Amino acid sequence: MRIVAGNVLAIYRRELQSYFASPLSYVVAGIFWIIGGFFLSIILLGPQGIIAQVAAADQVGTQAPVDVVYEFLKAYLGLLGSLSMFILPILSMGLYAEERKRGTLELLATSPMTNWAVALGKLLAVLTFYVTLLLPLLLCEVVALSASEPPVQLGVLLLGHGGLVLLAAAILSLGMFISSLTESTVLAAIMSFALVLTLWVIDLVAAAFPGWLGAALEHLSLLRHYTDFTQGILDTSGLILFVSYVGLGLFLTAQSIEALRFQRS
Amino acid sequence: MIEVEHLSKTYGATPAIRDVSFRVETGEILGFLGPNGAGKTTTMRILTGYLPATSGSARIGEYEVHADSMAVRRRIGYLPESPPLYPDMSVEGFLHFVARIKGVVAGDRPQRVAMAIARCGLDDKQTVLIRKLSKGYRQRVGIAQAIVHDPPAIILDEPTVGLDPRQIIEVRKLIRQLAGDHTVILSTHILPEVSVTCDRVAIINRGQVVATDTPQNLMSRLSGGTGYELELEGDLQVAQQQLQALPHIQQVTVLADDNLPSQRHRLQVMAATALDPGRAIAAAVVQAGLGLYQLRRTAATLEDVFINLTTQETVEFEATDRELVAPEAVKSHPTDSPVVDLAAEENAP
Repeated sequence: MRIVAGNVLAIYRRELQSYFASPLSYVVAGIFWIIGGFFLSIILLGPQGIIAQVAAADQVGTQAPVDVVYEFLKAYLGLLGSLSMFILPILSMGLYAEERKRGTLELLATSPMTNWAVALGKLLAVLTFYVTLLLPLLLCEVVALSASEPPVQLGVLLLGHGGLVLLAAAILSLGMFISSLTESTVLAAIMSFALVLTLWVIDLVAAAFPGWLGAALEHLSLLRHYTDFTQGILDTSGLILFVSYVGLGLFLTAQSIEALRFQRS
Repeated sequence: MIEVEHLSKTYGATPAIRDVSFRVETGEILGFLGPNGAGKTTTMRILTGYLPATSGSARIGEYEVHADSMAVRRRIGYLPESPPLYPDMSVEGFLHFVARIKGVVAGDRPQRVAMAIARCGLDDKQTVLIRKLSKGYRQRVGIAQAIVHDPPAIILDEPTVGLDPRQIIEVRKLIRQLAGDHTVILSTHILPEVSVTCDRVAIINRGQVVATDTPQNLMSRLSGGTGYELELEGDLQVAQQQLQALPHIQQVTVLADDNLPSQRHRLQVMAATALDPGRAIAAAVVQAGLGLYQLRRTAATLEDVFINLTTQETVEFEATDRELVAPEAVKSHPTDSPVVDLAAEENAP
């Protein structure tokens, strides 16, 4: 057990270091922060923004709605979720595709550790990097939330952001699997994006299928369950779905790396 | 130390290696020699546990490579054909990482990394990023990652490919130093490499081991006849006639050499037996009134051995293939040879 933890940690540290050493991740971070910050200010300060709405309500003389801060949270987390849908495939595209291209996969595969340990280390590393990307935006958010009266409930806050991290973990895990299928990072990014987009809007597709198939497809939707989280609803089916996606991604990655050994290379 | 028994591997329907068996004793360097695509990399990948074999077994020490994969992986160092390096890591950082994933305990790591760095001559490159290193240094880092966990067995796939001559010499010297403490298998398609670095050679062709022996034994085993090279002055035709007339001489060939002055010729004489006809050759040349400037015995080089073994195999394969594929063709020429005659008679009733 200690050995496995050591292996996971070794992979984790190496992978995380490579994110901080790569110029690509700084470009991604920059874009993420600019767009995220822009929409934060639109949602808060724009002509149709939360503050403008409260001010308008004040002038009319009606009481400002009490759930204004939750409206803001829902809008902002929804935005971060959609934005992440574009960013996450770029973060996960190189996880295995790069290793395959460089030939370093042969080093990992001939070292005394399981495919699971490698995959878990990589997933944790890319997830950590994503959370690091979120931090500056969360700082801005905290500034906005500190002005709310009455103060926002901590549980809602944690649930919303926990949902975001879970969503990211699910997308990254599936993206990691797709990355293990190819040597081309670009192909991995495009395929991951296509998959994520499909899962994102699958409830729209589900509407076209009547009966149990439609109901089953509807449950696979990332967006539907994520929206629940942003509203402060703890839905176990959503929790189980996200954790299942993470597990599925890890499982498929381990299997696909194992299968690589049987192919002609 | 390393035992390979009846190892076979097929990719789909194509056999990559067939019934490969050899042994490597502790502290020995075995050279795995063969043309590209002969199955060297496949064999090495099976030994490292990267590929599963279709049949047969391979053992490193007392561990079977497939059944005890993890134990085997801890005990081997492996340098694949292209060194597995992370370009954004420093040499030292990378070796620490490899030591960690190979299961070296935390307390030993600094010492092990320092030793690998010292052995591979990387002292002044410790903190340099790998992507900034030259090809020769990258290869050394590749070897360093293979020895950093001090494995009893080291497997090197084409360790000198793509290096310049000076780097090749350095890498070979490094490999020679590894023997003794470690058991080494290295693959190559470069012939002089095995005679310089290896204690024993296994020649592999078309997925089968054709011969295993020391480089010296292989050479003498295959040079059944004796060869001489002469440099003469005078009439070439006379010289050829005189030499052909000698007993036991199999073949006289004229070697082209533009650097020779006019009237000088370089000839190669192959004698059938080990009778050593040097004296007779010299006498014949002098009696014919020709000038003898050089008379030198040529032993078969490993290159000859290699070509000899691998081409013989090819011819045999093609012969059997033809018989299997097109027996009609053989039947339609029943008078070609007595062997075919017999076959035709057997088929007749």
